[in-house]
Amino acid sequence: MSDERHEREVVGTRVVDARLHLLSRQVLDVDGEPVTTVDDLEVRAPDGGEAVPGEEAWVSAIVGWPVLVTRVLGGHPPRARRAEVAWSDVGHVGTAVELTVTADTLDVGWTERWVRDHVVGRIPGGRHDPEAGS
Amino acid sequence: MKKLLGVALGILTAIGGFVDIGDLVTNAVVGSRFGLSLVWVVLVGVVGICLFASMSGRVAAVSGRATFEIVRERLGPRAAGANLAASFAINLLTLTAEVGGIALALHLASSVEPRLWIPVAALAVWLVLWRVKFDVMENVAGLMGLLLVGFAVALFLLGPDWGELVRQAVPPSPPATEHVATYWYYAVALFGAAMTPYEVFFFSSGAVEEGWTAKDLAQNRVNVLVGFPLGGLLSVAIAACAAVVLLPAGIEVSSLSQIVLPVAQAGGTLLLAVVIVGIVAATFGAALETALSSGYTLAQYLGWSWGKFRRPARAARFHLSMIVALLLAVGILMTSVDPIQVTEMSVVFSAVALPLTYVPILLVANDPEYMGEHVNGRVVNALGTVYLVVVCVAAVAAIPLMIATGAGS
Repeated sequence: MSDERHEREVVGTRVVDARLHLLSRQVLDVDGEPVTTVDDLEVRAPDGGEAVPGEEAWVSAIVGWPVLVTRVLGGHPPRARRAEVAWSDVGHVGTAVELTVTADTLDVGWTERWVRDHVVGRIPGGRHDPEAGS
Repeated sequence: MKKLLGVALGILTAIGGFVDIGDLVTNAVVGSRFGLSLVWVVLVGVVGICLFASMSGRVAAVSGRATFEIVRERLGPRAAGANLAASFAINLLTLTAEVGGIALALHLASSVEPRLWIPVAALAVWLVLWRVKFDVMENVAGLMGLLLVGFAVALFLLGPDWGELVRQAVPPSPPATEHVATYWYYAVALFGAAMTPYEVFFFSSGAVEEGWTAKDLAQNRVNVLVGFPLGGLLSVAIAACAAVVLLPAGIEVSSLSQIVLPVAQAGGTLLLAVVIVGIVAATFGAALETALSSGYTLAQYLGWSWGKFRRPARAARFHLSMIVALLLAVGILMTSVDPIQVTEMSVVFSAVALPLTYVPILLVANDPEYMGEHVNGRVVNALGTVYLVVVCVAAVAAIPLMIATGAGS
């Protein structure tokens, strides 16, 4: 979806303005842990095919950070490099978008997991709970 | 009783945490060159930071959204990206200055070469970020920072001509020896030092770290409205000490030893030792806050998991960015750059970046979707709007003044 277009979509009885209420909002997983921001939205036809102008279209996915670069600089990232969260995993849209799944099950979380497994988790104390005291 | 203690602790930490290397250096430089004729800027800056820190704290407590999430959401990826680049760079500069400040203060106390202290200081900062509980970290640094009250004690021991000090302050006018442009350049620097953006990043994210809710708003307000002005008084005491001792002697501040000279003269070794511990604590506390802020801004813009309350492994990219920021700061300092000069640069560039952060805070504080019944009142909005104008003027004037005055020389 282009930056300039406004997509309106009905959640329950509430009207959600894509630009105002969705784009650039924080996405939280089911435990309240930040996952990504809503960097872009994917719009598809109800049958899952390409959205056709003039016909009904649904938001099918939240697109994560690799698309941010092209949203700022222009162009499209190749589909293989896109990180998405399916719209069916969204539970609630408030001042943040809340998911019904955990971050670890999502593709968009791979950089976080990579840094955890290869860098931060390997430093002594990296898995220590700071709230439990030193 | 326990509640009262909590309030007292909050206020004391706010006082002790207010002064950082930027306030310390800028106030001493200004005091030694302009006497107290710029004290009004500290006043304006303190009111401004009270206003926006409590507003960002209120937004975070009510909506759970920290400042840079709001910046991103309101400005969109492009403008917020520009703000991120500017804020991150300034933050890195401030972090560099704070780590350098710790090293300089330890050098004063030990006469061990500052460059040997730099890695030690940075490692200590990282260990605290890695291991120590958020509220312990904040309280210890804040309470130890209170030792800077030694500057106020020194001022009284010096027994200055109070009438003369008041005459310098009101009505404010530049001394005959200084150019008007230089006067305004330092006015902008002092304003930037008091209102540095990292303070609102840290303050709002800290509210999320400590799990504040709408119930904590009263405490938030008291901490800010009592603590910050008292912290501002410490800034004025630093400037006044410089005005009493350094101005008549014609000493222009270019090192930490000159900043503490009035203290040594008034209170001898004992008071000097107290103030040096205060400076170490204040710069250490601010180094923690700026290192955290570099993680907060980046993580909140990109939607990463962040927060010291999580296990480092559950906020991996956040912790990695703080490590990288600290390594960069150490790298910059190892080039033998003078931390005092880095500080002077950082406060001026802070002034440039202010509007992009303060505009979104004011907008969201008025948005009922975020704030419910806790939206801004009329008085706060009126004051906020006035400050936006001031902040924009300072931001526009900063660079031209810097060029015109050769950075105040």
